[in-house]
Amino acid sequence: MNATGATHERVRVWDFPTRIVHWAIVILFGICWWTGETEHMHWHRIAGYGVLGAILFRLGWGLCGGETARFRSFVRGPAATFQYVRKLLGHDRADPPSPIGHNPLGALSILAMLGLLLTQTVLGLFAVDVDGVASGPFARWVSFATGRRFAHWHAANFHLLLALIGMHLTAIAFYRFARSENLLPAMIHGFKWRTPSAGGPYFAPWWRAALLAAGIATCLALLLNIRW
Amino acid sequence: MSNLATRKGTFRPLMLLIAAALVIGAAGSAGAAGIPQIVHARQIHFKTLGKTAKSLRDQIWRSHPNWNVVANDANQIERLASALPSWFPAGSGKGHGIRTRASATIWSQPQQFARAARRLFNRAKDLNQAAAGRNLRALRLRIRALGQACASCHRRFRAHSSWW
Repeated sequence: MNATGATHERVRVWDFPTRIVHWAIVILFGICWWTGETEHMHWHRIAGYGVLGAILFRLGWGLCGGETARFRSFVRGPAATFQYVRKLLGHDRADPPSPIGHNPLGALSILAMLGLLLTQTVLGLFAVDVDGVASGPFARWVSFATGRRFAHWHAANFHLLLALIGMHLTAIAFYRFARSENLLPAMIHGFKWRTPSAGGPYFAPWWRAALLAAGIATCLALLLNIRW
Repeated sequence: MSNLATRKGTFRPLMLLIAAALVIGAAGSAGAAGIPQIVHARQIHFKTLGKTAKSLRDQIWRSHPNWNVVANDANQIERLASALPSWFPAGSGKGHGIRTRASATIWSQPQQFARAARRLFNRAKDLNQAAAGRNLRALRLRIRALGQACASCHRRFRAHSSWW
């Protein structure tokens, strides 16, 4: 936040669905981690379905959500990303490049995070635990040996995810201490301080998020044969 | 004929003595150097247990389970569960040149481990009963209960795999 006076105004940047999905993934990831480590596989599976639902929602929201959530608005090519990095690390620090939503490096991080999380949940769907009982819902289509292989890939991909989360947190600390930009509160309350001329992004109506969430929940319940 | 019988009679105790000495010697050497083999055999037993449990679990997802497969699997699970405590002789933990996740608590808390193994055996027996009765609903509940017995034992007696 840059509160230098009356020249800045509070601009809404992140809509409610984007923030909910972000923090839901954080909480569900923690639950998955703990339940996986302590072999509470029933709850691990349920939390994993939650992560899969959240990822699918975020992917859908990236196509039909608000401006800052849309992939089209923040995913940039290599040239634009490289230019952003040069500006970020270069001499013109007094005039930092500051897109209203995700910056091009953040976009790469988001794509990697969504990709790894989606890979993780799909691997989990086919994984079989050592006892052969606790398994993903699609494990019945693979042999015990293949299911165990999926479980090992699930564990390896988890370490990649931990590394990526470490990078994500390091980047937040970098912006906080090296660039005096606090990204964390904006992801909680959804607002940033900007110059009035910058204008605000557009947002999608709530019913679109509700429809998308209901559609994904229904598809997952049918596909995964979830019995409550 | 009688001479031969006498010779046989004198040689038999000697042969038995030699055979007994060989067996005891072999067992002694296995006790000293056979721990990697014991751990390896244990891992194979657990893989068989897991594979069999998965095979049974795959059947209960079908609209028409193959009850012969279910019965065979349930029998094998019960047989393996009854033998499980014998897979952990004293001293077959870590530090013998073979990777094992058998926790030291197995031998430091033998009564609790025996209780956990007993719990698995009881649940395997219940599973076998449901399989024999061809009761799909009971089978679903009991395979879940079996999995809970596996997991609760792993939580306590299976060492962590992670590096942190």
